[in-house]
This record gives sequence, structure tokens and C-alpha cells, in this order.
Amino acid sequence: MSQRTERRGIHVDQSDLLCKKGCGYYGNAAWQGLCSKCWREEYQRVRQKQIQDDWALAEKLQREEEEAYASSHAVHSQSAPGHASLTPFSKFEEKKTNEKTRKVTTVKKFFSPSSRTASKKETQEGKTPSPSISRHASFDTDQVSKDFVEFLKNLYKPGREIHKQCRAFLVSMSNKKDLGADELSECVQDFYQSLADRLISHFKGSSESVEQVMDQVEKYIMTRLYKSVFCPETTDDEKKDLATQNRIRALHWVTIQMLCVSMDEEIPEVSENVVKAITDVIEMDSKRVPRDKLACITRCSKHIFSAIRITKNEPASADDFLPALIYIVLKANPPRLQSNIQYITRFCNPSRLMTGEDGYYFTNLCCAVAFIEKLDAQSLNLSPEEFERYMSGQASPRFSSSEGTWPDGSQGVGTAVTNPVLAQLNTNLELLSGLCSRQEAVMEAAQSLQSEFLSWTQSVQREVNDILEKYPLEIKSSKVSAIDANNVDNENLPSPIKPQVFAG
Amino acid sequence: MSAMRVDAKVVMLGKESVGKTSLVERYVHHRFLVGPYQNTIGAAFVAKPIQVGEKVITLGIWDTAGSERYEAMSRIYYRGARAAVVCYDLTDSSSFQRAKFWVKELQNCEEHCKIYLCGTKSDMIEGDRSLRQIDYHDAQDFAEEIGAQYFETSSKTGKNVDELFQKVAEDYNSSAFQFMTEETGVDLGQKKDSYFYSCCHNN
Repeated sequence: MSQRTERRGIHVDQSDLLCKKGCGYYGNAAWQGLCSKCWREEYQRVRQKQIQDDWALAEKLQREEEEAYASSHAVHSQSAPGHASLTPFSKFEEKKTNEKTRKVTTVKKFFSPSSRTASKKETQEGKTPSPSISRHASFDTDQVSKDFVEFLKNLYKPGREIHKQCRAFLVSMSNKKDLGADELSECVQDFYQSLADRLISHFKGSSESVEQVMDQVEKYIMTRLYKSVFCPETTDDEKKDLATQNRIRALHWVTIQMLCVSMDEEIPEVSENVVKAITDVIEMDSKRVPRDKLACITRCSKHIFSAIRITKNEPASADDFLPALIYIVLKANPPRLQSNIQYITRFCNPSRLMTGEDGYYFTNLCCAVAFIEKLDAQSLNLSPEEFERYMSGQASPRFSSSEGTWPDGSQGVGTAVTNPVLAQLNTNLELLSGLCSRQEAVMEAAQSLQSEFLSWTQSVQREVNDILEKYPLEIKSSKVSAIDANNVDNENLPSPIKPQVFAG
Repeated sequence: MSAMRVDAKVVMLGKESVGKTSLVERYVHHRFLVGPYQNTIGAAFVAKPIQVGEKVITLGIWDTAGSERYEAMSRIYYRGARAAVVCYDLTDSSSFQRAKFWVKELQNCEEHCKIYLCGTKSDMIEGDRSLRQIDYHDAQDFAEEIGAQYFETSSKTGKNVDELFQKVAEDYNSSAFQFMTEETGVDLGQKKDSYFYSCCHNN
């Protein structure tokens, strides 16, 4: 028994080490318990399935598109359910097949950017050279295309027209990759303009519905073009991004007082809003559609406004807002800020956004960035010497007020009043030390458990030994089984024959 | 987010504490908040629909930061504006000098932008004439010189406030038609120049 308990912890059965497929080779945990050969097979199978799934999705999309056209083509057939209306529908069907074959080729064009689909379907159409819209981005784009088709379904004929135009535009854009960013921007803007004009003049759309359509068009087009036109290599956007990032880093010492920001971060609600504003402006980089990016800026601005409102107990004006936004940008140091601004400027549908509320906040963000770039001693009400010292890191305005307190976690209460960041730091430190002591307790308990285990096995062993000593194994004379004593070695032998014969 | 469609962008320009925000606040919410250091009221952006004849025109009114700190950036603000209300304090001659600066900027950079000169706090000089530092005729002459409309307003009493913005909307309405026909007549290749293409190249 004692031997068994000792083994339990480390014992691994031979079968556990072998490949799960049972091929007889040893498996590996990294290959999910399979041997290299079986793993490769399995992996291929999963991959194949994935490819098929992608395919199915592509085909589904294509079908949906065709349906969208069908519904725009034969509006009244939609009202009747599929089977019941077969006879009147068949006429349409005929007409449609022509339509369909034509459509399919264009649809191919539509999917060709994803290389895998293209390789299978490029029979008629030449592959559109568009590696920019790469495969791994296709999930997002597929979703957007799906939504777009869904949206256009409700528009019948104009929807079809819009879709055609968009696809043609995307194809033409994929051939224009060598153009500079400004030219690309011009192409997109021209497209927005001409499509909007067309919608108004040809389809007599109300300005509201046109706007709605244009929003969707922007979403669709820009999601598809994002990769190739965001921070393109032809511009020095990336360099500017880095410059701005470093600039903001170098200005880490700028305080809320220097900017004359009327936000009091000691009020919990205010600091909450500040954190939200920072999150929003950082989130901007993760969006693809210019409008979504703008929405992030707007949300950020709204949080700033509420922060100011809470602090001052009255609504904020531009005189409060701009400094606060500058402060938020300095604190957040949003990734790829310049690229994002350039991207929005170049590819946002301008007709409404540059005059509306989003436009206002965006303009303020541009101002904030421009201010940060040009910021000097005068704009912070500092003497040039002070500014130089802060910039070179020789002095820090922050530590002059709460010098020496921050490295010492025990004085957290004192610093909490002077600086909310330090307070946060201190609470974090406290949390960490709490976790540390708990970790120690766990370790102690684990160790005692371990020693208990060891002593337990020992005690069990001892007990067993005691018992063994007490009741030594006495091999009693085998007289008890005397009758069979002779047969012990011949167990396999049949029973004695004699009595059988006698009985018979 | 305001889903409201905005027809025209109107920027408020002027030195700090001349009462830009009060003016907007008065116009949009018909109120005037009193306080000792009251240079800040109201939101920074408002979209206000105005009835002009048969039509409704929505003005997007942009409040701007007036501090000299941000002077270098003001160009970013009024880019694409169709109207600018340049404010100065009737009791502060330095604010009038600043107003002249903005007028010059606007004339150089935004030819499509119509300028409205606006002397604020007229209720104060009505109480005490000696407080007035900018002569009415001087301002009027200046306005004529630059082809601008001139208003003396009071956000406290509401005098001339509605008239100012009504005029802005009416002028926009009559010029929008002109502008539109002009625009469609323009060669497509020149589209680059139309006002919305260049929003912000801040370097």
C-alpha cells in the first residue's frame, strides 16, 4: 500500500506517452498528444476545413448578393413565398440567368483580392493585383460586405446601382496603388461626390436617405481600402507619428495647471471622465472607418465636457475645452495620431462631417496637435530657462510639490491629496503588497501541506511496520489444506478420476 | 452624437472674454448667466435651425478659444467657414485691435467666408457712455471698408442678437444658391479648390 501512494504523484502510464491516435509512436503535448505524423495529418484536416468554411462564406455572400439583385429585379415576387410562386417566377428566372452569369463574373472580381478564392475562380477573370487587402483582414471585411449587401437589399434598383459603382471603384482603386496619398484621397472624394450627386439627380433621393446611403458606402469602401491607404508608404505619415509620439513623451512634465485646464481630478467623477476620454482617444486607432474614428473623438470630447461641467458647475466653452483636450492628448499619447488625422482628413465623406459636430471636435483635435507641436515656454507661461530645464529633465515641476514622497508607499495618504496619479500608484502598490502577502501565505500553506504529506506517508509506513511487527506473518504449517497438499503443484490437472469411474 | 445635418459653418472669433460664448448662449437658450468671472458659458458647438422664408437653414455655430496662446491655430478653426462673427468688446479697445487681426486673416485665407463685425456688451455703454472705447462710426467705417455687416449686441438684454444670426442665415441662403450654381459650373478637374477638400493640414 505504501508503495502505491508514493507512486501516485509522478506515475505516468506508458499509454499516456504514446500518440493518441494509437499508431504506436510517442506523442507530444505540443501536438495535442499526437505524434508528429498524426499531428500533421490532423492539422491539414482542420486547415482544409477552415478553407472550406471560408469558401462557404464567400459563396454565401455571393448568393446573397444575387438574391439582392433578384429582389431588386423582381419586387413583387418577394411577397409570395418561394415555392408557391414558382410558376410566375420562372419567367423572371429565365431573365435572371443571363443576369446571373454576368453577375457571377463581377462577383468574382469582387472576391478576387482574397488570394485563395481567386486561385480557384480566376478562370475567366484575370486576378486583380491587390495583395494589399490581405487574407487575414477578410473576416472583418466580409462582415462589412455582408452588412452592406443587407443594407442595399432594401433599396432595390438604386441599391444595385450603388453596389455596381462601389465594386467598380474598388477595382479601379486597386490599380492605383502607386499614386500618392493626395491623389488617392482625391479619387475617393470624387467618388463620394459623384455618387451623391447621382443619387440625388437619378434616384431623387431625399438628402437624409442619401446621407444614410453615403455613410454605408463610406463604411464599406474604407474598410476595404483601409490597409492600402492608411499611413501609406508614399507619405511621411509614419515619421510624423513617431515625431509626435516622442514630442508628447518629452512633454510628460506638463501639468494641468500650466495649461490652465479647469478640471479637478480629485473629484472622482472628473477623474473617471478623464480616464474615459483617454480611452476613447486611444481607441480611435483601432477603428477603420473614418466616421467611426470621428465618433471616438466625439465621445472623448463629450467626456471632457462633462469633466469640466462637474468641476466648474457650469457648461464649458471652447476656452475651457481646447486646453483640456490638449491635456488629454498629452496624457493619452494616442498611437499613430498623425496618421489617423491624415486618414480622416483624406477619406472622410466631407459634406457633413466637416461642418457638423464631429467636425468641430476633430478640428479641435487638430488644433491640440498643432499646439503640442509648437508648444514653447511662452505658451505655458514659463520662462525659457524653466522650460529648458523641464525639457532636459533636469527639473520636474511635479516633484517640487511632492518631492521624495512618491517612492515611499507608506506615505500614500499624504500624496493622495497632492496628486491623483500618485494616489493611484499607491493604491496599486498596496494591492500588490496585499497580493504578495497572500501569495506568501499560500506558499506557506503549500509547504506545510507538503511536509504533512511526507510525515503522513512516514506515519502510515510506521504504522504498517508496527502492525507487521505486532502480528508477524506466521506461515502456519500447511496442515489446514492437508487434503489438497499433494495437488498444489498440479492445479491444472483434472480432478481425480477414480471417484468418477467409481460413480459411473 | 448630433445626427443633425448642418448647412453652414459659422465661427465665432474674438479675444478672450469679449463674450462670444455668451452671445451664442443667449441666442440658442435665450438666457444670460451672471457671475463675476463669467467668460465661459454654454457648449462649444451648437447646431441651430433657423427659419428663412420657406426654408429651414441649420447653422453650425463654432465657438473658438480666444486666448492668444492658440492664435497660431485659429486658421484651422475657420477653414471652410461660410460666416465668421468677429466679436470685440465695446469697452475694450485692445479687443478691437484683435478683431482687426482676425478680419485680415479671414480676408487672406477664406474668401468665401462672410464677415460680421459685432461689438458686444452694448448694455454697459448704455448705462455709462464714458465706458465706450470704440466709436460707433469708426466701427461702422471699418465694417464698410471690409464689406462686413456691423452689429452692436448685448447678450444681457438680448439686443440685436437674434437679428445678427438671422442675417447670417439669410445671407447664407441667398449666397448658397449663387454658390451652388457657381459650383456646378466649375470644371470637375478644379474640384480640389472647393472648400471642403482642405480641412486640416496642420503642418
